Amino acid sequence: MYPTKQKLTKIMLCIAFLCLASRVIAQEAPVKGLVKDMSGQPLPGVTIKAEHLNTRKTAVTTSSSQGLFSFTSLAAGGPYRFIFSSIGYETDTLSGYTLTAGQQVALNVKLKEQSNALQEVTIGYGKSKRNEITGSVTSIKQEEFNRGVVSSPGQLLQGKVAGLNITRSGNPNDRPAVILRGPSSFREGAQEPFYVIDGVPGASIDLVAPDDIVSMEVLKDASSTAIYGSRAANGVIMVVTRNAGKGQGKLSYSAYAASETISNTIQMATGDQLRTYLKDNGKVLDKISDNGSNTNWLDEVTRTGFSHNHNLNFNGGGENSSYGASLNYFDNEGIIKNSGLERFIARANMEQRLFNNRLKLNINLTNSNTTNDRIATQVYNNMFTYLPTVSVYNADGTFYEDPTRTTGTGGYYNPVALLENNTYQGKTNLYLINGSAKVNILNGLDFNAMVSMQNEQINENLYNNRYSMLRQGFNGYAERSSIKNTQKVFEGYFNYDKTFGSHGLKLLAGYSWQENRNGDGFQTSGQNFVSDDLLWNNIGLSNGNGSTVVNYGSIYISTLRLISFYGRAIYDYKGKYLLQATIRRDGSSAFGINNRWGMFPSVSAGWNIDRESFMSNVSFVDNLKLRAGYGVSGNSVGFDAYTARLVYGAQSGSYFYSNGKWLTAIGPIQNDNPNLKWERTATLNIGLDFSLFKNKLSGTLDVYNKKTTDLIAPYQVSTTQYPFNVLTANVGEMTNKGIELSLNTTPVRTGNFSWNTAINLSHNKNEITSISNDLFQANEFYTANVGGRGQSGALGYQVIKEGLPLGTFYTLRYAGKDAAGKSTFYDKDGVASTANTGFEHFTVTGSAQPKLLYGWNNTFRYKQFDFNFFIRGVYGNKILNATLADMNAPIYAFQTNIAEQTLTESINDDKAQFVSDRYLESGSYLRLDNATLGYTFKIKGNKTLRVYASGNNLFIITKYKGVDPEINMGGQTPGIDYRNFYPKTRSAIFGLNFNL
Amino acid sequence: MKKYIAAAFLATLSLGACTKLDVDVESQLTNGNFPVTPDAFVAATGTVYQKFNAGFGVDIWRMYELTSEEVIITARNGGYYDQGRYQTLHKHNWAPDHPIILSAWQWGYAGISDCNRVLNILEKSVDSPTKTQFLNEIRAMRALYYLYVMDMFGNVPITSFGTAESPKQSTRAEVFSYIEKELLAISEGLSAPATVTAEFYGRPTKWMAYAMLQKLYMNAEQYIGKAMYTEANVYADKIINGSSMALVGDYNSLFAVNNGANTETIFAAIYDANYSGGNAMTRFTLHSALRAKYNLPFSPSNAQCTLKEFYALFNLTNDVRNASWLVGKQFLNDGTTPIMNGSGQLDFTADIILTNQETMDVGPEVNGVSRGIRSIKFYPDPNTNSSTRFQNNDMPIFRLADVYLLKAEALLRTGGSLTEALKWFNKVRVRAKAPEVTTLTLDQILDERGRELAWEGWRRNDLIRFGKYQGKWGFKNGGEGASRDIFPIPATELVLNKNLKQNTGY
Repeated sequence: MYPTKQKLTKIMLCIAFLCLASRVIAQEAPVKGLVKDMSGQPLPGVTIKAEHLNTRKTAVTTSSSQGLFSFTSLAAGGPYRFIFSSIGYETDTLSGYTLTAGQQVALNVKLKEQSNALQEVTIGYGKSKRNEITGSVTSIKQEEFNRGVVSSPGQLLQGKVAGLNITRSGNPNDRPAVILRGPSSFREGAQEPFYVIDGVPGASIDLVAPDDIVSMEVLKDASSTAIYGSRAANGVIMVVTRNAGKGQGKLSYSAYAASETISNTIQMATGDQLRTYLKDNGKVLDKISDNGSNTNWLDEVTRTGFSHNHNLNFNGGGENSSYGASLNYFDNEGIIKNSGLERFIARANMEQRLFNNRLKLNINLTNSNTTNDRIATQVYNNMFTYLPTVSVYNADGTFYEDPTRTTGTGGYYNPVALLENNTYQGKTNLYLINGSAKVNILNGLDFNAMVSMQNEQINENLYNNRYSMLRQGFNGYAERSSIKNTQKVFEGYFNYDKTFGSHGLKLLAGYSWQENRNGDGFQTSGQNFVSDDLLWNNIGLSNGNGSTVVNYGSIYISTLRLISFYGRAIYDYKGKYLLQATIRRDGSSAFGINNRWGMFPSVSAGWNIDRESFMSNVSFVDNLKLRAGYGVSGNSVGFDAYTARLVYGAQSGSYFYSNGKWLTAIGPIQNDNPNLKWERTATLNIGLDFSLFKNKLSGTLDVYNKKTTDLIAPYQVSTTQYPFNVLTANVGEMTNKGIELSLNTTPVRTGNFSWNTAINLSHNKNEITSISNDLFQANEFYTANVGGRGQSGALGYQVIKEGLPLGTFYTLRYAGKDAAGKSTFYDKDGVASTANTGFEHFTVTGSAQPKLLYGWNNTFRYKQFDFNFFIRGVYGNKILNATLADMNAPIYAFQTNIAEQTLTESINDDKAQFVSDRYLESGSYLRLDNATLGYTFKIKGNKTLRVYASGNNLFIITKYKGVDPEINMGGQTPGIDYRNFYPKTRSAIFGLNFNL
Repeated sequence: MKKYIAAAFLATLSLGACTKLDVDVESQLTNGNFPVTPDAFVAATGTVYQKFNAGFGVDIWRMYELTSEEVIITARNGGYYDQGRYQTLHKHNWAPDHPIILSAWQWGYAGISDCNRVLNILEKSVDSPTKTQFLNEIRAMRALYYLYVMDMFGNVPITSFGTAESPKQSTRAEVFSYIEKELLAISEGLSAPATVTAEFYGRPTKWMAYAMLQKLYMNAEQYIGKAMYTEANVYADKIINGSSMALVGDYNSLFAVNNGANTETIFAAIYDANYSGGNAMTRFTLHSALRAKYNLPFSPSNAQCTLKEFYALFNLTNDVRNASWLVGKQFLNDGTTPIMNGSGQLDFTADIILTNQETMDVGPEVNGVSRGIRSIKFYPDPNTNSSTRFQNNDMPIFRLADVYLLKAEALLRTGGSLTEALKWFNKVRVRAKAPEVTTLTLDQILDERGRELAWEGWRRNDLIRFGKYQGKWGFKNGGEGASRDIFPIPATELVLNKNLKQNTGY
């Protein structure tokens, strides 16, 4: 391979000849040995392969916990070579041994830890050594993953990858919002990266148990992602799971139990405080709103949640086949009563190697079964604002309710009753079958074929019982839906990998066919039940009256086909100069008829400076690589088969009276746009990878410029020409420019003690550069119309406008209170008045985009102890605390509870709750996300047992006055806290890992 | 081994050749498969009616009622301020970016575009009597939408199907003659049932086309500066003499929960709590404390009420229409048990007293007092859908009592027979059990139209015709100028269509 610096230290201490003359019976020669790491510690689990170079016979063994190994039945003769390999260490080979029958050979080997530069990284359709990569790829290994109660693999990466912004509430059923290098779409839900799980593009992330993940590679720039074409503009996350084992069977079991509590809250007025406040202002609560109670509603609806996870994994294999299997059970109780998630995942995989390893067959089966227990969304709001002056129950044991209240925004409902009278449950069964074959056709030429089938069965159930305030007069209302989504993928590609002297060449050419058939199912509903006991389980017992309309939902089958051709060429000269070009041609049935096919190219180059002769004297540099790339990828998330078409349908309640009967009125349900296509993102990325001082300090610096064009947005069109007043069209342009730095260093490393610290920093600047073109013009789009009492004339509290970032707040400007204690607001000229509340007085007041994201990880090891703490944070963003605004409504103090801080405000201030920059708060925070202390017991043989205690979200430093500043930063309207936030949790975890 | 490789090669190549992207449409109706059957054609016409109903009950109704002295929505302790959208309608100081004005325009043109689209589909179908009838009905509906947009916005475009090009603006007179021409062309081809039975209820009939012509000609003086009252009466007579339509005996039944087809209603927006939402009268009018009395499955929102100057019209003895109002202290159906509103008895006061002029806010309800007189003309419906809060009462658009009053008015305006005018006027009085009159003035007719057609969505049109739209009522000073007789073209439409010129005065 490459003439790198001598990196392998191989010491053969002795080759002893021990002659046991009287025991020469068989023609066999025993081989024994010891494997250590460079610090002299024995290395367990190293695979040692003995290979007879003439007969091609091989034998495999592994080293024990003392690093010892032996072959007992190698035939005499030779020459033999011995190959030592272990994950995280450089492979070493000892060659040229001729064994004499009856003579023992002893091998003593020290393996060198693999430096970052040589680690293999999973990229699209293959693997590559780190120092050969020309794009921006961050690889996070299992041991670096976040610890804690993890329900979705995205949480494992939170704070670990520069440029990856992950936000998540405390809801077990919430998937984290993941955004890479800033938003590159206006569309809600269209900013998530594309997941490739063990080579299966677009597989569901819910299939994978976090414990089964070996590594995740985040492909950030277009030169890495363009090979995934029209789906890759938000970045690609490659998930690699444990595969079939090798050698003798292994068993591991890991488990944890966790207790979670609400980490923070907004202090609301108590019943007595509220009564006093009203009394002091000459007001009293209506009788129905005060029965002398002092109820803390938050306490009534929350609990300490207990969660536990168990993962059992075993694998093994022989010479030509290997297997692996794992079972995972996860039960996550939410901190709000009746919410939770339960998941069971089973996986099995097998590999068969034939024709002297020239054909490898693989099959993987995964089944994941999830039950989501959800709660009514109105709880989030009522647990704060329901009056504390009333009790949970009436004297007769029924829930205390005020039926005279109107069902305004968020409603006014007893939050405990909301939990008890409304049941929401989802059950999802997901399976993935994935078979692949790899054929070695010629030296250097491989053909890979992969077929996968994913099947997702989603059942959603809800029941509002006869006492439910959400379905008054229905006498029980049940709704069920059952939907099947399937995805079939075929991938076939050739790999050619050959070195011609100083020239290295890697070629890839492939074809991909994918079909997603979604929405195969139905929904139904029933009402008027004689008993609430059966929930939704027997809708046949419902008895709707004549005019009841069954809610069949709008479920329809949508089949989407995606066909692609792709290729990649990588050339290197002496490992110094690297060149890569990729191309993908994607065709999708979802795109408009005029834009069916798209081309997504990329080029990139790398320069391994450390390999230049002029660097040979620079001894402190181990690796230094400069790389640059440019490419184009697309975003078609959310497209379905009908997105661009004229579809006739019936909107809900769309009936007309015809001849004395109600008939369904059928008409177009959207304006069709035959030109609709993917959003296009072109990325320029320049990066530097370095590793210095014998790998003690390594790092990566990237700068990028992402330019997204053809942004999709709903454009106002006139109903004088179109049936609908909005048309979805590709118009806008947006840029994201940023810089990312990650550093990893091991300042201390002695025999017993080591300290590793890693930090990552990223900055991104988002700017909308255009939202108009020749055909479609818009000055701005107002979004995030969260509304509020007395404020329904506002068109939105965020604005999408040229020159501003996505997530720009657009609100009134608060000018303090006047002499009468009333809130005043500035007009455009800076004059304050209570009257300046019209939409014309709204103005740009801040941005939800953070200036800096950071994560800082520290790992200490002392003998068998390990200690880790991880801090992460966000700086420079704003959050609109519309939740607090709504609670800060003194004028409604007799209707809904107010925050404790509101007690000092005038009860006559009828605009205190108006959303203004008064409620625009700094979202910066620093969180001690995790601290873990572990101890590893070494039990005889290879066995280890690690026990650990861990705390999550131990403290947070922030000025934010809401529950938690980790507000969703994904989607179209980032950074808005509006009465929908499931509180963050603080957890204590105890766990163990058994390796047998 | 070689065979194996060859097989793999072939497999890839054969699949590689597959670049077929078109997938079958399994569960949606698209232009490939709809409409084909006769039933599908019926269903395809439905959106025209469904859109009319869905938008009429709230947005269009507000355009015609909140701008008059019949209905007001004040802010109530911060609620229903909504950035002043209701108070600007009340005070006639709306601007081109007013959200309800935009909704009204979009309602009108979405309906017109839909008619054009459906007509295009129908024209391509095989000729049959049903086809002709459908074509005429959809053209009548299109004329009705045009009548509304022309009445509201004056100079509006006449649009056609199948072009993305912005249409040109027409003058009000051009739109007037377009509507007239269309109605004259189709009216004879429409069904002419003796009365509008369930079969024809909510669908254009000959009588509906005549009623539209009568409205059009009655307002011709405002629309095109030419008095056409005589023509109006020609079409009134065609309804009166050509059909067997007659006033119903029970006035209140016209608006009851289970109203529906009757001998008087010529055309109505047909509502159903579950099938056809759009009538939210009780939701916006009643007070939550009345929930129990009317056995409602939801708590009303306490927004709109009438002004005392309008309520003053309901002063005739024995007039059954007086019962449409809730005023003063409220009791349960037994007439003795007080309905409590917080600590005091629910009391609807005729006086609407503002605590905040600038937001037109009446402040919190103290001692049970809730400002403003409420209407229960569209009687509260116990079978309201508690989720959507839509009720079952249909809302008449054209009915015979209106035809009679317009006829009396036209006679008066043209110096026609007073006896004849009194005859039609008194028919309405007699049905209401109110005293008959022997003399008649235009003012009396406007007042009677207030009593008879209160909250039915015609008041703006009537006030403009009688020159009273710029009067003083409630918190409106009056004298705002004739430009307010036409709404502005919505600001967003001016951006979207460069051919449009804003109406004078905006």
